Amino acid sequence: MTRNVVRLAALAGGGALLAAALTVSGSAATKAGPLKIGISLSLSGDFSDSGKAAQRGYKLWANVVNAKGGVLGRKVQLIVQDDTSSPTQAATNYQNFITKDKVDLVFGPFSTLLSAPSAAVANRYGYAFIEPAGGGPAVFKEKLHNVFFTQPAPVLQSADVFAKFLLSLPKSQRPKTAAYPSLDDPFASPIADRVRSLLEKAGVKTTYKTIYPSETTDMGPIIQKVAAGHPDAVIGGTQNNDAFAQVKAMVQQKFSPKFVFLTNGPNDPAEFPSKVGAKNVNGIFATGDWFPEAKSPGNAAFVAAYHKAYGAGAIDPTSAEAYAAGQVVQDVAAKTHSVDNKKVIATLHTGSWPTVEGVLRWNSIGEPQGSDLLVEWINGKLYPVYPSNVALHKPVVPKPAWGG
Amino acid sequence: MHQIVQAIILGVLIGGVYALMASGLTLVFGIMKVINVAQGALVILAAYLSYWLFSHLGIDPFLSILVVAPAMFVLGVAVQLVFVRSLRGPDASELSLLVTWALALGIEGVLSVFFKTTFRSTLPSYADRSWDVLGYNVGFVRVLAFGTSAVLLILLSLLLTRTRFGRAVRATVQNPTAATLLGVDANRVQTLSFGLGVSMAAAAGAVYGVIYPFNPGSHYDLISRLLSIVVLGGLGSLGGAVVAALAMGVIEAIVAVEISPIWASFSFFVVLITFLLVRPQGIFGLRERTL
Amino acid sequence: MSRSAAVGVLRGGAFAAAGIAFPFVVHAAWIVNIGVLTLMYAALATAWNLFSGYSGYISLGQAAFFGLGAYTLGITFAHVGIGSGYNPFYALPLVGAGVALASLPVAWIALRTRHMTFAIVTLTLLFVTQQLAFNLHSITHGSSGLMLPTPSFDIADYDRPFYLAMFALLLLGLGACWLVLRSKLGLMLLAIREDEEKARGLGIRVTTAKLIAWWLSVAVSAMVGGVWAYYLTFIYPESAVDPLVMIGAVLMTFLGGRGTLWGPAIGAFLLVPVQQYMLTRLGASQLYLVGYAAVFMVVLLVLPRGIVPSLRDWIDRVRERQRTRRGPIVREEAHA
Repeated sequence: MTRNVVRLAALAGGGALLAAALTVSGSAATKAGPLKIGISLSLSGDFSDSGKAAQRGYKLWANVVNAKGGVLGRKVQLIVQDDTSSPTQAATNYQNFITKDKVDLVFGPFSTLLSAPSAAVANRYGYAFIEPAGGGPAVFKEKLHNVFFTQPAPVLQSADVFAKFLLSLPKSQRPKTAAYPSLDDPFASPIADRVRSLLEKAGVKTTYKTIYPSETTDMGPIIQKVAAGHPDAVIGGTQNNDAFAQVKAMVQQKFSPKFVFLTNGPNDPAEFPSKVGAKNVNGIFATGDWFPEAKSPGNAAFVAAYHKAYGAGAIDPTSAEAYAAGQVVQDVAAKTHSVDNKKVIATLHTGSWPTVEGVLRWNSIGEPQGSDLLVEWINGKLYPVYPSNVALHKPVVPKPAWGG
Repeated sequence: MHQIVQAIILGVLIGGVYALMASGLTLVFGIMKVINVAQGALVILAAYLSYWLFSHLGIDPFLSILVVAPAMFVLGVAVQLVFVRSLRGPDASELSLLVTWALALGIEGVLSVFFKTTFRSTLPSYADRSWDVLGYNVGFVRVLAFGTSAVLLILLSLLLTRTRFGRAVRATVQNPTAATLLGVDANRVQTLSFGLGVSMAAAAGAVYGVIYPFNPGSHYDLISRLLSIVVLGGLGSLGGAVVAALAMGVIEAIVAVEISPIWASFSFFVVLITFLLVRPQGIFGLRERTL
Repeated sequence: MSRSAAVGVLRGGAFAAAGIAFPFVVHAAWIVNIGVLTLMYAALATAWNLFSGYSGYISLGQAAFFGLGAYTLGITFAHVGIGSGYNPFYALPLVGAGVALASLPVAWIALRTRHMTFAIVTLTLLFVTQQLAFNLHSITHGSSGLMLPTPSFDIADYDRPFYLAMFALLLLGLGACWLVLRSKLGLMLLAIREDEEKARGLGIRVTTAKLIAWWLSVAVSAMVGGVWAYYLTFIYPESAVDPLVMIGAVLMTFLGGRGTLWGPAIGAFLLVPVQQYMLTRLGASQLYLVGYAAVFMVVLLVLPRGIVPSLRDWIDRVRERQRTRRGPIVREEAHA
C-alpha cells in the first residue's frame, strides 16, 4: 500500500517535472535560444598573447551585455575555438561555426594573416565579418562587402596622422630630412612607406631607408647608417622589440634627431620605459587606435569593467578592439531589431557607429574612415597629442636630448 | 672601410656566442652520432631560466650561468636517459633527429604557456654601456658575452684534452668499439657528454638573453643557424664549429651593412651550400662513415 | 599480371571508388573540409615516404617544396591570370614538374653528403625558401602575403573540387609508390637503404635512383601546396613554409609505417580527424603544441616502425600459430 503511494507520488512528480521541462523548452524556442557567435582565436602559437587579449575583450562584452539581458532578449553565447595561429585552422574553424554549429554571427580572429582567409569563408556563406584585428591590406584587397574592421583607420594608414601633424607645423619647425628604418612585417614597413611618400611629396628629403628582417636583433649597424645621413627625423615602421632596440642603439650611439616616430613600441606604456630607460622616452612619437584615457563612447565604462574583471594591469588595445566588435552588433540590433547577417551588412554600410574605438564609419570594403591617434611621451607619460580634438596635451617639439 | 671593420668586430663578438652553442651540438654528434635538434630550444629555455633568476631574484645573468648550467646538465642527462638512449637499431641516428625535434616542440609549447609569446630580454644595469675604441663602437655586454664564451670553450677543450673523462670521450669519438675494449664505459660517456652539451647550450642561453630579445619560437631561427654552423665546420669537429661560427658572424654582419640586413642570414646559407659542393664533409670534418 | 598485383589493383580500385564517392554522398561542408585537410596530409606523407621512407634519407625540407608549389601557383595567378575556376588545377602538373626540376641541382649537392648532413642541408633549404618568400617582395609581396582570386565554385559543394584534387594527388602518390616498389627503382632504393656502399659496389646507379625518387616526391608535395594555396586563397611565408606541416606529415608516416605503401595515408586518416577533434575539445587549454610533441614522442619511442609493419607482424604471427597447431612437422619446419 505505502509502496503504491510512493510510486504514485513519484509518477506525479515525474510528470510535473516533464511538464515543466516541456514548458521551459517551449518558451526557449520562441526566444530562438542563445545568440551564438563563433570566434576563432589563437590561444596557442605565435599570436597567442594577442589572441588571448582579444578573448578577454570579447568575453567582457558578452558578460556586460548578458548582465543587461543579452541582445534582443537572447543571451550571447561565444563559441571560441583555438586556431593554433594557423590560417588553415582559422578557415576550418569558421567553416565549422557556420556549417556545423550554425552560429548566428561570427567575429574575427587576431591578425590580418588569419583574418584574410577567414573573411573569405564568411563571405562565401553570406556572414558579416566584424573583425577587430585584421586591418592589413590583404584583408581589404579582397574587396569583400561583408568585412567591417573595428578600428579607426586601416593599419596601412595608421601613421598618416604623423605626416599630417608634421605638415601642420610652421615651416621652420618641420623636418627637412628623414630616415626610414623599418621592420619587414605587414604591420610595419608598409606604414612607414606611406608616411615617406606623403613627406617626400611635401619636400622632406629621404636620407636613408632600409628594411630589416624580424630576426634582426642588432640595430647597431642600421642606426649607424641612419645617423650617417644626419636626418632631422627618424621614422620607423616597427613592432615592439625592434623599436626598443632602435631607441637603445640611438642612445648608445648618442644620436638624437629632432623627431623620432616609431609606429609601434613606444605606444606600449608599460614596456617602453622599462626597455629603453625611463629617462630616454621623452619626445618620442607613436600612434595607436585606443588608449585607456580616450574619451570615446563607452570607454570609461569599458575600462572600469575590464579592471573589475581582470585586475588592475595594463589593457591590451586588442581587448578594446574586440569589445568594440561586440558594441557594433549591439547597436545594429538596437537599431534594426535583427541580427540577420544580410541586414547587419546592409546596416553597417550606412551611418556611423559609436564604440570604445571611437565613432566608426566604413566604406564599401570595410575600411574604417577615421584616423588613429598620435601619441607622444611628455615628462615620462604618454599623451594623445593630435588630432587636436582628441588631444590631452600639446605636442612638444623638437625632441629633447637623450636623458632630458 | 670603417663600416666593414665595425661589422667584423660585431661579427666576431657574436660568432663567439654561437660557437659556444654549436660546441655542445657537435660534441654530442661526435660521440653518439646524434643531432640534437632541441639544442636551440634548450638555449631558449636557459635564456628564460636566467631571465627569471634575474627578474625575480636579481641574479646577474652572467653569474646565473653557475646555476643554470648545472641545472641544465641534469636535464640533459635525463633527456639522454629517457629519450635518446632508448633509440636502437640502424636508424637510431635518424630517429634521434625527430625525437629531439619533438622535444624542441614540447619545450616551445611549455615555455609559451609559462612565459607567453611576448619577446623578453634580460637587461642588467650595464646593458647599454659601450666603449669607443679607435672610433669603433664596442658594446660592453658583447665583449662580456664573447669573453664568457671563449673562457667556457677553453675550459671545454681542456676538459677534453687533459682529463681522464676527456680521453674516454676522444677515444669514443675515434673508435667506439676499440674504446669499449679498452674499458671505456660507452653508456656513461654518452650520457655525461649529452649533459655537457646541454650545459653548453645553457651557458650560451644565459648570454643570449642579454644580447638578444627572445620568445619561445626563437629556437627555429637558432637551430637553423647552429646546424649550418656544425655542418660547415664538419660534424663532430669542435674547432670546425668555432671557425664556422666566427665566419657566420662576420659574413652576416658584413652583408647586413654592405647589402641589406634581409639578406644576411641568406648569404650564410649560400656560403654553406657552395662550400658543401666543394667539400661535402665540411671544413674539418672527416668523411662520414656508413653507419 | 601476378596474383599479388591483381589484389593490389583491386584494393586500389576500391579505395579510389570509395574516396571519389565520398563528397558526392556527404554534403556537409565542414566534413568535406576535414576530408580536404586529411587528404592533404595523406598526400604529403605519401610523398615524403616516397623518397625518405624508401631510401632511408630523412629529408627535413619538404615544407619548402609545399611552399614553393603554393607560391608558384599564387604568383602565376597574380602575373598571368589563369582564371578562378578549374583552370588552376590544370596548371598544377606544370607547377609540380617545374618545382621538382628546379630542386634537382640542390638535391644533387645535398645527396653528395651522407645521411645526417643531408637531413640538415634539407632543413636549411626550408629556411632559405622561407627567407626568399620574405625577401623577393616584388613577386611574393613578402610578409604581407599573397592573395589568390576567390575560387568561383558553387557554395553548395564548394569544397568538393579541392577534395577531388587532393584525392587525385594522393592516388598519384600511392600509384608512384606502388610502381616504384614493383620496379627496379624500388629494389635500388631498398638496396641503398640497407647498405649504400655495397649498392654502389654492385654497380647500382645510386645517385640516379635517389634523384628520381626525390623528383617524384617533390613534384607531389609542390602540387599539394598549390591546391592548398588555392583553397585558402591567402598565403604568407610562415604559413606556406611551415615546419609544423612537414613535421605533421612525417609523424603520420612514422605512425602508419614508413617504407610501406599504405602506412603514411593510414597515419593521416587516423591523425588528422583526431587532431581536429582534440582541438575542438581541448582547444582552450593552450597545450596544443605540447600535446602534439607528446604524441610524436610516443609514436617514435613506442611504435617506431609504425602501425602497418607491426600489424603485418602480428598477422604473420597469428597465421604461424594457426599453422603450427595443425601438426608437429610444420612446427619443426618453422623452427628450422
